[in-house]
Amino acid sequence: MGEMDQMKKEAEGLKSQIEAARKAAADTTLADAASGVAPAPRVQLKTRKTLKGHLAKIYAMHWATDCRLMVSASQDGKLIIWDAFSGNKINAVPLKSSWVMTCAYAPSGNLVASGGLDNMCTVYNLKTPVVKTVKELDAHTGYLSCARFLSDTEILTASGDTTCALWDIETGKQKTVFLNHVGDCMCLALSPDMNMFISGACDSLAKLWDIRDGTCKQTFQGHTSDINAISFFPSGNAVVTGSDDCTCKMYDLRSDQEVISYQDAQLNSGVTSLALSVSGRLIFAGYDDFNCNIWDSLKGEKVGVLSGHDNRVSCTGVPQDGMCVCTGSWDSFLKIWN
Amino acid sequence: MEAGKVCSSNSVLQARRAVEQLRLEASLERIRISVAATQLVQYCQEHGRSDPLLTGIAASSNPFKDKKTCVLL
Repeated sequence: MGEMDQMKKEAEGLKSQIEAARKAAADTTLADAASGVAPAPRVQLKTRKTLKGHLAKIYAMHWATDCRLMVSASQDGKLIIWDAFSGNKINAVPLKSSWVMTCAYAPSGNLVASGGLDNMCTVYNLKTPVVKTVKELDAHTGYLSCARFLSDTEILTASGDTTCALWDIETGKQKTVFLNHVGDCMCLALSPDMNMFISGACDSLAKLWDIRDGTCKQTFQGHTSDINAISFFPSGNAVVTGSDDCTCKMYDLRSDQEVISYQDAQLNSGVTSLALSVSGRLIFAGYDDFNCNIWDSLKGEKVGVLSGHDNRVSCTGVPQDGMCVCTGSWDSFLKIWN
Repeated sequence: MEAGKVCSSNSVLQARRAVEQLRLEASLERIRISVAATQLVQYCQEHGRSDPLLTGIAASSNPFKDKKTCVLL
């Protein structure tokens, strides 16, 4: 038998082994295990603020850790820093490339980052008298779909070149490249303890990575199309994904498999974005059909909807204190709900 | 050397990587979903009371709600 055939055989054998081990652990589903839990109340949130200022589709938003400021990115070629309490614009950062797909706020509040079809991640300092470009992180060979700061000196990126990378912002170099996806990486999320991160890709897989040793620890299957959105459950033991297959799923890391799927026969729009409330009980998922549906994470039932945008909801975010949910849309507006 | 050999050595490398990754993932110790689910439920129950979007927010403590101010004439 040639080496390729041998490896094919071994791969098939290992896949069956993994499937069998997962089956053996699948003694129930999350919905069944939560059958004794009182259903989440019907969630009716009001729009408290509509943030107007962008002139084109909004593609991304990210809350600052102070739970008051946030950054949004639009294909009008701007990043806007907003004070969500007042609705005022604090800063408008002009982008070299208007084809932006992601933005991020550093935990310190000192820096923001953006990236997109320019294949680069650009880091900006908000604290200088005039906002200055700190670094252009240039090494990906595909678009930048997502970026998240670990600190003022390190940032993680996900790219259409199928890799994720950890960068040293000061040197502008990649410290670690995370290789394993076979499709464009579309999203990433940091674990609460910051030692791991999870990525979602167009290969319909979600992967868990160890940030320090660069290895892929686990792979989660189940989706049948691109995974556009991903988030950790607040305990760090599970992960929620949203996909073009119109479903969201929760995967438990220690059972290494899907434990529940959030779907509706009437829902046939892809999921673009998602965010969890602080207890993890509510999932806010943005869809192509202009709505943001609210799911009871334990029971898999829809408990509310945020309607108000006139175009696709492209991004969603809940600040660290859980006091609201923000939705951003291709209609150029951001809305704050609670 | 056939032209096909260069391409095939890439495939061999890819296949080797795939097998190594599968070996790593196969060695994982998995806990039963019943155990995992109990912990997920517990987390939600413990933190539900301090989840503003679940419990609701009083108008006076809602930083996003527009405050109607009274002007003393």
